[in-house]
Amino acid sequence: MTYFIFIGDMLVMAFMVAVVVWVYWRTSDDVINRSARIPLDDESTDG
Amino acid sequence: MNTTATKSNLYYHDRVVTVLVAWSIVWSVLGMAVGLYVAAELVWPQLDFGYPWLSYGRLRPLHTNVVVFGFAVSALMATAFYSVQRTSHVPLFAPALAWFCCIAWQLAIVAGGLSLLAGINASKEYAELEWPFDIAITIVWVCFAIVFFGTIAKRKIQPIYVSNWFYGGLIIVIAMLHIVNSLAMPVTLTKSYSLFAGAPDAIVQWWYGHNAVGFLLTGGFLGMMYYFLPKQAGRPIWSYRLSIVAFWAFTYSYIWAGPHHLHFNAIPDWVQSLGMVMSLILLAPSWATMINGIMTVSGAHAKLKTDPALKFIVLSLAFYGLATFEGPMMAIKSVNIVSHFTDWTIGHVHSGALGWNAMITFGTFYFLVPKLAGRDLYSVKLANIHFWLALAGTMLYILAMWGAGVSQGLLWLSLDEIGELNFSFKDIMGSMAPYYGLRVVAGVLFLSGTLLLAFNLFKTLQGQKVVRVVPPPVAAMEAA
Ligand code: HEM
Ligand code: HEM
Repeated sequence: MTYFIFIGDMLVMAFMVAVVVWVYWRTSDDVINRSARIPLDDESTDG
Repeated sequence: MNTTATKSNLYYHDRVVTVLVAWSIVWSVLGMAVGLYVAAELVWPQLDFGYPWLSYGRLRPLHTNVVVFGFAVSALMATAFYSVQRTSHVPLFAPALAWFCCIAWQLAIVAGGLSLLAGINASKEYAELEWPFDIAITIVWVCFAIVFFGTIAKRKIQPIYVSNWFYGGLIIVIAMLHIVNSLAMPVTLTKSYSLFAGAPDAIVQWWYGHNAVGFLLTGGFLGMMYYFLPKQAGRPIWSYRLSIVAFWAFTYSYIWAGPHHLHFNAIPDWVQSLGMVMSLILLAPSWATMINGIMTVSGAHAKLKTDPALKFIVLSLAFYGLATFEGPMMAIKSVNIVSHFTDWTIGHVHSGALGWNAMITFGTFYFLVPKLAGRDLYSVKLANIHFWLALAGTMLYILAMWGAGVSQGLLWLSLDEIGELNFSFKDIMGSMAPYYGLRVVAGVLFLSGTLLLAFNLFKTLQGQKVVRVVPPPVAAMEAA
């Protein structure tokens, strides 16, 4: 069972590492910056 | 006439948000008042006056249901509706359904609360309401999902902002947990039996219980944080990439951690160890999120000094850090042997519930209500007094429960040379009165602060119409 938990945990870690690599490599700075600014420019008032 | 109708379809639907905020405040005051009453009953048991409906056993689940499902879920629905339309640059999809969610949810809380007072209880923690309510909750939740994901589907900008990922996670995971954990065989209108029995029942219940904490009290509120913190600080989140990594790490590890509620119980040992390891892994995304939030504010010092809303949010992040450090530690089996069955758990719960959930909601409401009303907050001074009352109340609550919990844990593990208990349960509980008394004081402080918030926000809204706001012009969207 210890092996089972160990392998499971390693798979979780591998998944997380894959997400980190994907987010850092596959998305351009431009897309990230634009996404991050969404809440700062999302409304205009109309009387 | 036609023009008005078409134009109103362009406005963000904020009236339903305002009503949900108002209900959330009502439930926060009522839920905390019941919390204070049960805290007082632990000092003066005669406060039930012999009435079953005033007994601790009925009021305690009333407290948890009103604060979690009334206060927290109404706040989450309000802020999800508010932010999803803005981050999608379109008004809500199916606004009539949003109104249905708002009204039906409040009716379910009122009726559900009365059923708990009447002693109708399914005997599962945080899932006490009986099967007719389970069906009603499922219907409202599906409507919530339709409004939320429908709005995202018709969005005018391509990226789905990170707050929506957390709100989306909340909606999907809670639906899954609620449906599975509520599977039951009804025998009468007010009584049903769970489809699960024995150890599987315990595992399913704590898979539900833990992830309700994870995806509702944590994930949902992280959605709130990712939208309202940048808004108030006037700057984007410090690292957007980190927020996405944290989302996946959080979602992936939380779902496995439930068995830490069942250490040393009749479930397989390896399941307990798995729960412990996953809880320790959770420290990483939790602290990454806290650091991301604090770094976002680090460039807005001037505002932090004067803006009570921002102060509440920053403080909530500190308590989030505290609760998510303490949680993984309590999940370690050798620590849990001391903390389980003691008030240490209650202290941990309220460092999350008061310090994180309530504070971030207060901060968000102090920002949101003046915006909805289109005028300044009625009194910044009252909001600052509230800040100190809330901080003092939370600290006193946690310290009292740590004191009580650690001494309980150590005292009932203490054995004499032949292995007999050194102290009886009755004696240990008898020595808890001072700690419980301090918690009553903490509750009075925290509740008084909440009453100030209710008064302040009511005065801010009084006589005002909800401001009409439209999405930014198409040109700006394209340029963005
Ligand atoms: C004035 C503020 C509050 C007071 C005085 C208070 C008091 C209490 C008391 C006395 C208990 C029962 C403890 C026991 O059985 O030993 C309790 C349980 C609980 N409260 Fe509160 N509470 C307050 C606010 C809140 C808020 C705002 C939330 C959630 C957002 C919350 C969530 C809970 C939960 C989840 C439990 C169950 C804990 C468990 O079973 O381990 N409380 N509270
Ligand atoms: C990394 C994050 C966290 C971990 C690993 C964690 C872990 C734990 C552990 C080990 C327990 C005690 C289980 C027991 O002995 O019965 C517990 C109880 C609890 N925690 Fe956390 N916690 C975390 C964060 C939070 C947060 C942010 C909240 C927000 C309010 C929260 C709310 C609760 C509640 C309500 C309970 C009591 C459940 C019950 O027995 O009724 N936790 N948590």
